[in-house]
Amino acid sequence: MVRFENVHMSYGEHAVLKGIDLHIEPGQLAVLIGPSGCGKTTTLQLINRLITPTEGKIFVNGRDISTVDPVELRRGIGYVIQEIGLFPHMTVKQNIEIVPKLLGWDEQKRSARSKELLKLVGMEERYLDVYPAKLSGGQQQRIGLLRALAVEPPIVLMDEPFGALDPITRESLQDEIMTLNKKLHKTVIFVTHDMDEALKIADVIILMKDGNIVQAATPKELLSHPANEFVESFIGKQRQAVGKLDTVREVMSARVVCAPDDTSVVEAVDLMRRQRVPSVFVLNKEGGFDGQISIKDIQSFSCTGDEMISRLANKQIPTVHPEGSASEAFKIMMQENIDELPVVDGDRVVGIVTRRSMVTSLAKVVWQGEAHE
Amino acid sequence: MNWPSVFSAVLTHLQITFFGVLLGCVIGLPMAVLLIQKPKLSHSVFAVIDLVQTVPTLAMLIFVMLLLGLNNRTVVVSIALFSLFPIIRNAYVGLNSVDRGTLRAAKGIGMTQLQVFTKVRIPIAAPMILAGIRLAVVSALSIATTGVFIGAGGLGMLVWRGIQTRNTAMMLSGAVPISMLALMLEYFIERIEKKLTYYK
Ligand SMILES: Nc1ncnc2c1ncn2[C@@H]1O[C@H](COP(=O)(O)OP(=O)(O)O)[C@@H](O)[C@H]1O
Ligand SMILES: [Mg+2]
Repeated sequence: MVRFENVHMSYGEHAVLKGIDLHIEPGQLAVLIGPSGCGKTTTLQLINRLITPTEGKIFVNGRDISTVDPVELRRGIGYVIQEIGLFPHMTVKQNIEIVPKLLGWDEQKRSARSKELLKLVGMEERYLDVYPAKLSGGQQQRIGLLRALAVEPPIVLMDEPFGALDPITRESLQDEIMTLNKKLHKTVIFVTHDMDEALKIADVIILMKDGNIVQAATPKELLSHPANEFVESFIGKQRQAVGKLDTVREVMSARVVCAPDDTSVVEAVDLMRRQRVPSVFVLNKEGGFDGQISIKDIQSFSCTGDEMISRLANKQIPTVHPEGSASEAFKIMMQENIDELPVVDGDRVVGIVTRRSMVTSLAKVVWQGEAHE
Repeated sequence: MNWPSVFSAVLTHLQITFFGVLLGCVIGLPMAVLLIQKPKLSHSVFAVIDLVQTVPTLAMLIFVMLLLGLNNRTVVVSIALFSLFPIIRNAYVGLNSVDRGTLRAAKGIGMTQLQVFTKVRIPIAAPMILAGIRLAVVSALSIATTGVFIGAGGLGMLVWRGIQTRNTAMMLSGAVPISMLALMLEYFIERIEKKLTYYK
């Protein structure tokens, strides 16, 4: 169904994928897993040609995709991402029906399809005319999933789709994915960094490290015959982590609000109000982290409303790495007396540690999942 | 009070404003789209537009007059030049502030680049784009008033003649409609902006 032949991918000098060979059978639920930055997202985006490999060939359904029109290719492959990315100005119905519409289905067929899909994830028809802003995170991701399934693509790509959801919603969506995979015989390629998630849903787990595949095996095999020490320690570390809080990732919230550095103060304030957050992260032209600006900063600076936030942004704010130590992050927040700590990987913002996110994670460990957010 | 002449001055004033801002949009909006595609260009282009913005109105009218002569066209072109700043700036920010995830999803589900613009970026940026046009309209009304100095028609003419002949009524018959137009147009466009954020 999906085959990689010696695929390399580099950004300039930086080799991200170093010769990937991969074969995913029709109907399989394959899970890509590995430490942050190992190339999971890159691998996924190669499949629907959001990016092009520097070397090597990729086949989807037997066809070399470099010979297929990217738009046509993508319409036949479902795509679900952690950021969800619903179209905010379209209703649930319009969001679900977007690909059928692009393909020219008539209204009757589209409408029947969106109703049928909504039932599939147990949502009522009254949601059809609701805008995404009115939905919970879990509901939004369900719609994201339905949008990807609307034209029954034989392949669905999912990039950490449940990373930002609470554990209960995540569980139930994992179940739904497994059902879809088995009932509708979709080939699903699923990215996660959560070993428990992988062990639960995968037919085959593809463990990656530094742009290479370390082991591709069924969950059972992976547990009983780990290929090397890295695999062993990766499973081990992840397993132990349940019930303990080691890394920043476990105490952070992935819900971050960002604004490009040429945003005006007025827009930034407006954004904070709409998103109900006390601060936003400032991104440079390349989308990299370039400081933080809080409502307090704005109030204490004398600035005009149309001024760009780049000047006011606090670029000295301490940051932590997602795999960094959670207790270190806690110490920093206490010592510097800050309420929010950006979690930055390379130059990408991947999350935020707040007092609230920290307490919520702690509570979950202490009360074993009984705590509610 | 000469009502027909006030009325025709209002029409001329609106015409100059409308065509000036329209020309600004025709140049500015595609420019904003281009700048989104070529972020490297944006620094230099914004530097030029910022510079244009700092030219005093009267000086600008005179520069353009040297090229186009003493007439309404000069005012229309000057308005267009001043409009570029708010129009391009707002459209650029609006189009660029569309959530990255939304854009990746749009592309990932198989929208063409054109569809990403027409179905996602432009509708989401619309209120912001319109706010830029509103700013342009309000300043255009005042530039059109100044236009009287280079022989253009419009409400500025009534104000100017009123001042020269110490005819307060005539002066007000220009000044009052100018203020009212500004207030009304601003209110009206703001209403549309609000309508365009129906989904929030
Ligand atoms: N557009 C890009 N330009 C340069 N480097 C990139 C780009 N996208 C990803 N990378 C780099 O490639 C590596 C792998 O990224 P990614 O595939 O997103 O990792 P994962 O999804 O496994 O966390 C990272 O080191 C990241 O910094
Ligand atoms: Mg990733």
